[in-house]
Amino acid sequence: MKKLYVFGNQYLKEDSFAVDVARELKKEMEVVFCDSPEALFDCEEAAVILDVVKGIEEPIIINDLPLLKTRKMLSLHDFDLAFFLKLFKEMGGDKKFKIIGLPEKGNIKILSKWVKENI
Amino acid sequence: MARTITLNHITKIEGHAKLTLSIEKNKVNRCELSSTEGSRYFEGLVLGRKYYEAHEMTSRICGICSCAHVVAAISAIENALGCKPSKQTKTLRELLTLGERIRSHATHLYFLALPDYLGYESALAMASKHKEKLERALLIMKVGNEMIKLLGSRDIHPVSATIGGWLKLPSQETINYIKENLIKLKEPAIKTAELFFSLNYPSFSTEGYFCSLKDKDKYAVLDGKFFAGGTEKAKEDYLSFIEEYSVPYSTANFVRIAGKRYSVGALARINNNQDKVSINAKKMLKKSGIKFPSLNPFHNNIAQAVELIHCIDEAIKICEEIEIKPEQLSKIKVAAGRGVGAIEVPRGTLWHEYTLNNKGIITQANIITPTAQNLLNIQEDIKSYVPSIFDKKKEDLIMDIEKLIRSYDPCFSCSAHFLEVNWI
Repeated sequence: MKKLYVFGNQYLKEDSFAVDVARELKKEMEVVFCDSPEALFDCEEAAVILDVVKGIEEPIIINDLPLLKTRKMLSLHDFDLAFFLKLFKEMGGDKKFKIIGLPEKGNIKILSKWVKENI
Repeated sequence: MARTITLNHITKIEGHAKLTLSIEKNKVNRCELSSTEGSRYFEGLVLGRKYYEAHEMTSRICGICSCAHVVAAISAIENALGCKPSKQTKTLRELLTLGERIRSHATHLYFLALPDYLGYESALAMASKHKEKLERALLIMKVGNEMIKLLGSRDIHPVSATIGGWLKLPSQETINYIKENLIKLKEPAIKTAELFFSLNYPSFSTEGYFCSLKDKDKYAVLDGKFFAGGTEKAKEDYLSFIEEYSVPYSTANFVRIAGKRYSVGALARINNNQDKVSINAKKMLKKSGIKFPSLNPFHNNIAQAVELIHCIDEAIKICEEIEIKPEQLSKIKVAAGRGVGAIEVPRGTLWHEYTLNNKGIITQANIITPTAQNLLNIQEDIKSYVPSIFDKKKEDLIMDIEKLIRSYDPCFSCSAHFLEVNWI
């Protein structure tokens, strides 16, 4: 069974949609709701991440990590998902990440079906 | 020729800070270190709220030190209410706090301090050549993080700890699991200390006091008196010796004791309590080749590395000794009162004080963070340190000043994202 690592804040309207979609998918796959990127320490060699991507209207798949925008690691508050993914890549580990990016809002049923088909 | 250096954003620290330096004829005329973040009003936010809300609200002061604020606030409120928590509760609070210190020290040492000493801009830049070191850091951080999650029920802003007890007790199996994970950290912690012993630290001595809690029988975490300037002082009397004051260039208060500057944090704790660290930590202190007490603030990194060993040993000891028993929350009789909580957290002594009315509503609050206590000392250290590096190139001078600031592991509670330097 594929494991889906979900990021987002259920209390923030603009950041909660991936969590809503993942709840719909919970019956059909193993879902890990992540409070911080450190949850990825334990992920398998190939992991699928679900998160909201700002400014898109249709779901997208990101396989190319350099596309992710990262800030310089200047303080502990800069430990975001993109930093960790790039760190894992720079360290040359075996972990391969596929990111499914969702828009900030949409139809939960339609998008959960899309995620299931594209995971 | 006079020159002014303005570091508008000091990087690789927690939060926003700005430094203005004016130098003439190898003399620093003006040195102002300021926290430039907006006021956060937490002491005002809790006013009018019930006594049991303080720890949940003040936890949001910082995601890095959220356990610290939870435990300090609970401790102050319990003191205000005359509530005595059980031994088990106190031990679990200590374990939670140690977990946070393990996570915080590993993160600061490897991701913020180490790139400075190895000549990299960031941890990301050193990742390909120093994979093993960063893997070690990630392992230590993971275990610390997991400790917090398992004990506090969340990895930031824990919710299990509450006034008078523990809302969701960890099982004995959980404690055993934590212990097994901690045992795996013993060797990485030793390697961390060896790594930080091997780095070249600038030679410098601060003139500030080193202050920390000092406990009779153990390396102080939650209990003990505040050791300041050679004397031990009761926490509840802190207003009689700690003075908070404002300066026009900073939104954060400055703090001094009897008009003098002081510092808190790992180095202060090691300087004041080195005889109480674990056997392994003592061995490593000896191996460091540095004579403690050390007056060199750059040695705070070494102190953090030694504390990492001590915290792991202490947490293992707690896990071995504790037998989790179900227990009710301590009975709380709501009454008017004032309470002070002071505990040792990653960056030093954290103070919380609350006054409650007879309905248990908070009518006064005061919070003094470790960084606020360190601000004056950092500023004065920069003033004394800069003349010794004045002939360095601009970039190297800035790097050395930033290194000094970072050695204190300051936290200004929100992030700084870029460095901008103005030379006039």
